Amino acid sequence: MAYNKPIPRKGQHNQPFWDGAKEGKLMLPRCTLCGKVHWYPRLICPSCHSTDLEWIEGSGEGRLHTFAVQHRAFGGWAEEVPYVTAYIDLNEGDRMMTVLRGVDPNKPEDIKIGAKVKVEFDQADDDTHIPFWRVVEE
Amino acid sequence: MAAINLSMGAAIVGAAESNEIGYPEERGEKVTSLQHHIQAIKNVSEYTGIPISDIEGIFSTGWSVELAEHLGIRPHYIDTTSVGGCSFEIHVHHALAAIASGIIDVAVVSHGEAGWSYRGAGGGGGGRGEMSPGAEMTMAYGTFGAPSQYAHAMVRHMHQYGSTVEDFAHISVVTREWAQKNPRALMFTDASQAEVKLGERTPNPFGGPITVQDVLDARIIAWPLTLFHCCLVTDHGGAVIVARPEIARSLRTNPVWIAGAGESMAHQNMLEMDDFTATSAARSSAIAYEMAGLGPQDMDMALIYDSFTVTAAITAEMLGLAPRGQGCRLWKDGDAAPGGRLPINTNGGGLSFNHSGMYGMQLLVEAYRQLSGTAEDGINGIEGKQTDSHTCVVNGTGGTLSTTGTLVLVSDD
Repeated sequence: MAYNKPIPRKGQHNQPFWDGAKEGKLMLPRCTLCGKVHWYPRLICPSCHSTDLEWIEGSGEGRLHTFAVQHRAFGGWAEEVPYVTAYIDLNEGDRMMTVLRGVDPNKPEDIKIGAKVKVEFDQADDDTHIPFWRVVEE
Repeated sequence: MAAINLSMGAAIVGAAESNEIGYPEERGEKVTSLQHHIQAIKNVSEYTGIPISDIEGIFSTGWSVELAEHLGIRPHYIDTTSVGGCSFEIHVHHALAAIASGIIDVAVVSHGEAGWSYRGAGGGGGGRGEMSPGAEMTMAYGTFGAPSQYAHAMVRHMHQYGSTVEDFAHISVVTREWAQKNPRALMFTDASQAEVKLGERTPNPFGGPITVQDVLDARIIAWPLTLFHCCLVTDHGGAVIVARPEIARSLRTNPVWIAGAGESMAHQNMLEMDDFTATSAARSSAIAYEMAGLGPQDMDMALIYDSFTVTAAITAEMLGLAPRGQGCRLWKDGDAAPGGRLPINTNGGGLSFNHSGMYGMQLLVEAYRQLSGTAEDGINGIEGKQTDSHTCVVNGTGGTLSTTGTLVLVSDD
C-alpha cells in the first residue's frame, strides 16, 4: 500500500540525511569545530556558531526521553490511532522526534522512560526513507 | 542588566473585552477577528475616557497597521510582535519601554480572534513558502495541534517528579470553581440552571461544576490529556490601554501599575526543548521580579496561562509559586481556589472561561479587573471582584511551551 502520511521535504541542508536513510544509515550533523552533534540539521552550529559542519553515521541507538499517546489525528495517521509519539535521546547527543514502535499504546503505564530504542526506516517514496524508533531489549 | 529601571514607568489604565465572546456563531452572529479588535478598543476607550484619537502607540499580533487604518489614527509607535499566546504580556512590556523612554504617552494593546467562528480556516500568518528545518524533521510523526505536543511535557513531569494525572486534574476542577463566579465564562453553569442564570445564552452541555473523576473520565485527546485538561476554543477579543503615570493619575479609572515586566523564549519547535518540565518563564519572571523589587512571596494572586493543566502547573513552578515538581499542589491543596491563600485564574481560565487560541489578553483583562478596585462597577458584564489582591504576577506562554512574557502588576492601596 502506498505511504499515505506526510512526507518531509528535502533541501540542501538535510540531503545527506535522506541519502543515508536510503541505505539504512542514521546520518547526523556534527560541528567540526566544537565536535557537537545537533539535531535537526541546520545552517550553523547552535553551540559554537561555526558554519563548518559535517555528517557522521550515528549508531542508530538511543533512549526514550518522553512520550504521549495520540488519540486524535487526521489524514493517514487517523487510521493508526491510538499510537505513541516520542522524543528520543540519541546516544550521540541531542534529541529526535518519532512515532514509537514496540510498545502498547493502550498500556501507557507500561512504557518505560529511559528504555533502549533502535532506529528503523520505512520507505515512503523513491527518495524518502523515514526513520522510526523501536523499543528493544537491553 | 537593564540600564534604566522601568518599574512603575507606566500603568494599565483600563481593560475591556469585545462584545460577543464565546460561541457567537451559535447565536447566529459570525463575528470576525477584526470586529473583536474594534469592539474591544472602542470599549476600553469609553471605559477610560481616553479618545481613540489619543492613541500614539499600537500593539497587536500583526494587526497593528490594519487596525490603525481602520480606526483612522496614525500612531508613531507600531509593534506587531506575534509569538503566540504570551504576545500581549510582551506588548505591555514593550509599551512600558516606549512610554518610560518618552516616545509615546498612550498605547493600546489589542486582541481579536474568531477562534471558534472561523475554526479550521487556518492561521492568518503570511506564508514563507518553505517549512522550517525543525518542522521538516517532525512533520512526519503524527502530532496535530497543541495537545498532541503538550502531552509529552506532562508525561515527563510525571516521570521526573512522580506527579499523577489526578494531581493535574485538580487544576481543571478548581479553575471550574472560579468559572462558576463568572457569568461570561463558557462553562459558567450547566444546562439545568441555565434558564435562571444565562438568560438567552445557550448553556454549554459540559458546563457547571466538575470533579476529578469527571476530568479522568472525559474523552481522551492525547494521553494523559483528556478533554478537560485542555483549554476551550472560542471567540474572544480584548484591549488594554497603557499610559504614562501623569495621565494614569488624571483619569476616572484606577491605574494598575506595571511594577515589573520580562520576556524570554526557549525554543520554537518542541524538539529543541531541553527540559520538558521547565519553560522560559523562570527567566522572564526573574527579570520582572527584579525590576519590581518584589518576589513570588509578595504576590497576592496569579494569572497563569492554562492552555492545558500541565502548562499551569509547570508555569507556577517557574514563577516560584511552588517548588519544582509540586505545581499541582497549589490547586490540590486549595491555595489557588476561591478563598485560598493564592487565588489563581479567577476568571475561570482558558480551561473554563474562554480561549481563542492566544489567551494572553484575557489574563490582562482579568488582572485589571481584579487589581483596579473598580471591578464592582462591572467590566463588560462581569461584576464583582473575587479577591482583595493588590499584587499579581501574570504569565503568558506561547507556542509549544516556547515563549513567555511575565508582568508583575500592583495597585494603589
